[in-house]
Amino acid sequence: MNNTVIDVHNISRVYNPDTIPVYAVNNVHLHLQRGEFTALVGPSGSGKTTLLNMIGGLDKPDAGTIIINGMNITELSPRELVDFRLHNIGFVFQSYNLIPVLTAKENVEFIMLLQGKSKQERDQRVQQLFKEIGMEDKLNVRPAQLSSGQQQRVAVARALASKPQFILADEPTANLDSKSAANLLDIMALLNADENITFLFSTHDQRVINRARRVITLVDGKIASDTAAVDISQPHKFETV
Amino acid sequence: MVLRMAWRNIWRNKMRSLVIMFSIATGLLAGIAVLSLYDAMMNSRVRTVIDSEVAHIQLHHTNFKKDYDPKYVIANGDDVLQAIKKMPQVKAATARSITTGMLATATGSAGVTINGIIPEEEYKVSQLKQKLTAGKLFDENKKSQVMIGKKLAVKMKLKPGSKLVLTFTDTSGAIVSAAFRVAAIYESANAPLDERNVYVRMNELNELLLSNASFHEIAVLLSKDETLKTVQQNMQQLFPSVLVESWKDISPETDLMVDTVDQYSYIIMIIIMLALAFGIINTMLMAILERTREIGMMMALGTNRSKLFILVLCETLLLTLAGTPIGVLMGWLLTAYFHTKGLDLSGWGKEMMSNFGFGTMIYPEFPAERLPAVLLIVTATALVSCLFPAVKALKLQPVEALRR
Repeated sequence: MNNTVIDVHNISRVYNPDTIPVYAVNNVHLHLQRGEFTALVGPSGSGKTTLLNMIGGLDKPDAGTIIINGMNITELSPRELVDFRLHNIGFVFQSYNLIPVLTAKENVEFIMLLQGKSKQERDQRVQQLFKEIGMEDKLNVRPAQLSSGQQQRVAVARALASKPQFILADEPTANLDSKSAANLLDIMALLNADENITFLFSTHDQRVINRARRVITLVDGKIASDTAAVDISQPHKFETV
Repeated sequence: MVLRMAWRNIWRNKMRSLVIMFSIATGLLAGIAVLSLYDAMMNSRVRTVIDSEVAHIQLHHTNFKKDYDPKYVIANGDDVLQAIKKMPQVKAATARSITTGMLATATGSAGVTINGIIPEEEYKVSQLKQKLTAGKLFDENKKSQVMIGKKLAVKMKLKPGSKLVLTFTDTSGAIVSAAFRVAAIYESANAPLDERNVYVRMNELNELLLSNASFHEIAVLLSKDETLKTVQQNMQQLFPSVLVESWKDISPETDLMVDTVDQYSYIIMIIIMLALAFGIINTMLMAILERTREIGMMMALGTNRSKLFILVLCETLLLTLAGTPIGVLMGWLLTAYFHTKGLDLSGWGKEMMSNFGFGTMIYPEFPAERLPAVLLIVTATALVSCLFPAVKALKLQPVEALRR
């Protein structure tokens, strides 16, 4: 069975191609296996977010192909991409990006509603996810009443709600204090270990890098280093923050 | 969920939403006020036409109205009148002898329509009694009395007790002149009619016209306006040799005016709503621009464009519909107040309004039967207004929106 979840073939993204071309991502080749816990690191402007956006189907490469679970997403129309994202990818953004007018529960439920899940299914999943993130008592609280760490945990629950193939997290701990960041990483590591969910982070945060099982470094849009695929069948020892 | 989100979204900026809701309510109030004002003015005009000018239905000899020749009396007039009075829908009916002639005084002369009336019956049909401003009703003990309109009285410098001479042709074509004394001066809501019509007793006019006891016109007042068409048709079937006309046939300009003003009031309503639409567009556009990042995130998560469109649509509709009951309530309260107290329009120019046949005191009513149309206009305004902000939202690219 093919375990490759993300298969990136020589993709490039060029800004200002007609004037002064800037290669945000330059001929990147990358494979991620199911269950990987990978950090994408590099200085600002190295192309981490652009690469993440392209893998997430939010942006299109100017060259190359991206195959997710055997599907070439670079050939999908914008409408197909919306549907693809909904059913295959979980997103965690740097600034949480919860919908402020919805409660924590409704934010998580929102994705499942878009997927057309039944109320019973939604309720079960919400209960399960809030248990996993340890926020069963905050179901009906609006984001404004939650701490940064709690908001990001809800964002993780939301990303997981649709049972995606993998989760893309753009600087998930950037706005969190140490304790909240550690707590969030614990949750994500647990989900990775227990449910075999693939995580790909873009990060500057050494705490995240320390806990990643694979670290890919981007410099000027190119992969400068890759700690390479590890044997994911082997249990991984996380470093403590 | 979309509806819930939409409702909560409109309360994210309470002040802005309240302002736009109040604008919608005010626009609606203005619309309702315009509709009820026009309705009231038109109703007042129609009531004037029916209650004091024409009555609901008039019957004449088929040739009489061609040149008002007094020889064209209604055949078997008494029988026709009695049959009409027995009809259940008829409230009152009266006979009139009519001729045109010249009114002359020592100071001048004027062309007039001379109406020979049976006073007690006439008072019931045309409210002549209520319109008197000077003098007294016809006195049974006095002969050759005439009632004239105020405008004519002013023009001819006449007052109760003044003498005048009426000259006209009788049924044989001979010119007849007779002296009358002014018994009373009346004033209706229609000054041109007051200037043209004088009233004498029918028996006195008939003597002069040599038309015996016959008459030229039967004016019929109905108990209910709605029965007009049916009664008119029934009468025409019963009296095929007589011309049976409704007030709409006799005063087509009034009917046309009602229809035209009806359309004008909707045009004004649409103009008010158009102005309001810009307010809604501005508010929704602000709401969309403020939430660019959030919308981008929703798109990134898998919200398709149709759901986003529905969200913007729901927000606009809820914003509009939230202001609607307030506007309707304000409109109802305003019209209820003026319906009870009356709205005096004499400030607009009593004489000018009178010249156009309008009363100056009107009693606006809440336009309940037009409310569905008003609500339709409001909803359509909201729908049209949300298109631009919605398209703006749909054009957002998630990756760009998330960067903001």
